[in-house]
Amino acid sequence: MIAIIDYNSGNVGSVKNAVERLGFECIVTANAKMILEAEKVIFPGQGRAGSSMEQMKATGLDKVIKSIKNPFLGICLGMQLLSDFSEEDSTKGLSVIEGSVERLDVDLKVPHIGWNKVSLRKIDPLMKGVQDGSFFYFAHSYYFKAKLQNEVAVTNYGRCFASVVHKDNFYGVQFHPEKSGSSGEQLLNNFLNL
Amino acid sequence: MEPLKNIIIPAIDIIGGKCVRLTKGDYNRIKEYSQSPISVAKQFEEEGAKFLHVIDLDGAKKGETVNLETILAIAKNTNLELQVGGGIRTFESAETLLNNGVAKVIIGTSALEDKRLLKRLITTFGENRIIVSIDVRKGKIATRGWLNESDMGLKVFLESVKEAGVKTIIVTDIEKDGMMNGPNFAMINEFSGNGLNVIVAGGVSSQKDIALLRKNNLAGIIIGKALYEGTVTIQEAQNDLARRIIPCMDMKDGRVVKGTCFKELKDAGDAVELGKLYSDMGADELVFLDISATLENRNTLCGLVEKIAKTINIPFTVGGGVRTVEDIRRLLNAGADKVSIGSAAVKNMDLVREASRTFGNQCIVISVDAKKAENGWKLYIKGGTEETNLEAIEFSRMMEECGAGELLVNSLDRDGTKKGFDIELLKKITDTVKIPVIASSGAGCLQDFLDVLDKAKVDAVLAAGVFHYGDIKIQELKNYLWENNINVNI
Repeated sequence: MIAIIDYNSGNVGSVKNAVERLGFECIVTANAKMILEAEKVIFPGQGRAGSSMEQMKATGLDKVIKSIKNPFLGICLGMQLLSDFSEEDSTKGLSVIEGSVERLDVDLKVPHIGWNKVSLRKIDPLMKGVQDGSFFYFAHSYYFKAKLQNEVAVTNYGRCFASVVHKDNFYGVQFHPEKSGSSGEQLLNNFLNL
Repeated sequence: MEPLKNIIIPAIDIIGGKCVRLTKGDYNRIKEYSQSPISVAKQFEEEGAKFLHVIDLDGAKKGETVNLETILAIAKNTNLELQVGGGIRTFESAETLLNNGVAKVIIGTSALEDKRLLKRLITTFGENRIIVSIDVRKGKIATRGWLNESDMGLKVFLESVKEAGVKTIIVTDIEKDGMMNGPNFAMINEFSGNGLNVIVAGGVSSQKDIALLRKNNLAGIIIGKALYEGTVTIQEAQNDLARRIIPCMDMKDGRVVKGTCFKELKDAGDAVELGKLYSDMGADELVFLDISATLENRNTLCGLVEKIAKTINIPFTVGGGVRTVEDIRRLLNAGADKVSIGSAAVKNMDLVREASRTFGNQCIVISVDAKKAENGWKLYIKGGTEETNLEAIEFSRMMEECGAGELLVNSLDRDGTKKGFDIELLKKITDTVKIPVIASSGAGCLQDFLDVLDKAKVDAVLAAGVFHYGDIKIQELKNYLWENNINVNI
């Protein structure tokens, strides 16, 4: 079973739809036992870092996530919360993947909304069959300043920032694979088949 | 580390410990830009660069690394990924750099003269850490700090570096270097598609050069003088965001208004079927506007949004009659990615503030209906039927301040006319706000889309009729824009 974490912070429906379109069964849940028993866990993010983190602490989800041993995918804010710290609302993160989340302080329009190129830095099972330089859909104002060794792919938007990260069983993507057409489906399918 | 696509690599050339640029590789035509290459590197990093191209020009001339201390200090004091070249002609000199924080070494002359060294480096450090630099002058390969010319032709040379196991090359046209008059595109074409990762250097001088180069599927673009002279900034150069093409569907009582001419559709009024078709046709996003937008239709709309969300895998925005935070929540929960707010934003700006705070500004789109007046543009509400006392540009600015994530700008003068977008209006708005702007109203032909993207610098273009009736196919439009150097997700 695939668990999609629901922490009452925005729309998890589109992730559920995408997983189901790929032929996998999934459950949207905040139940610790279900999350820990799931073969794969997806952590979608929307909304703000501060309120999301508060919500997770209140429900104990913060500790649950840190103890997950199976493949885990954080999407957008769900990726950013894996960091040590986010500038958004000065939020302490889950410290699963080293690095901090900073505001996109660029001379371009923020939020960074739309389709942008994802360039591979290394071979990673998550990106199998995804053509280097493929476009994915982004919608965010903060970016993950990750350590080089955890960067799988980067994207250019004023800054060159990590758009895919990976450490141990934890994966994170800044874009929305569930909204990124066939490239996004390929990525999700890779994750679900890990 | 794998070679990347499309990276922007600022360049630092060092002579006597200082940061300089040469013109056409001529050591007699030096311009000094800074006493401290380290502070230049830090500045590049601060601006958002991730990579750095460092050439030891003294080293290139002498045939051994001269400015080692400076180079290693850059590696130590920044998080930039360094590729370093200039005079690396022995295994030991490459090793010193690669073991002390330099990510990649660039081998030039010695690749020509010492194939065994090249093979040994690749075996020891891996193919991704060794780059071969090819300096071309009038179609021939130049070596020794560009002072000599080799007789070897390009093709023969390329075959031999490939055979040595090289994966990435840097191609520099010396005649173009430091000239600021654009790269040699003809030469670049010769190199692309030969199975190697090609990084281009020499002559990149404007944002347009970069846009053109981006189309060549290069591994990287090295920029030198243009950054120092300020004709290009790192931030402008590092932008691969595509402009979006968005079909819009007006809906009434759960059905698409105005039938469409798609033969593929069984029911032209079925929003789910049409949405799926657009998604498959390469639309970057979809917009659904419920023009009936009455309370009793709200449930119909949510049900429809749910069905569409299950079917398509691109983002979609839903609007029409959104009045409260609760309305927004319902639509988002049903599967909309963004919600467009119209009249309610004018009457109650706090709604925009609260919505943005609650859901994040990336999902709040404000619809701006403008009509030309004597001075500027008047803002209209209720689907363009009611004039307000607000000015449209000023309203746009206010909405940005309230936390809008995007503006969807309609021109009541152009809507349905097929006479082209209101470029003047849109340009005023993109000059005023720093959030994405979607241009709507007036699309008639391919050129209209190009004009508004090019002249008004909008982020996305939206149209209904021309797409519905099949006058313009989305893929055809994208190909046309791509040909005209607009970055699209093709």
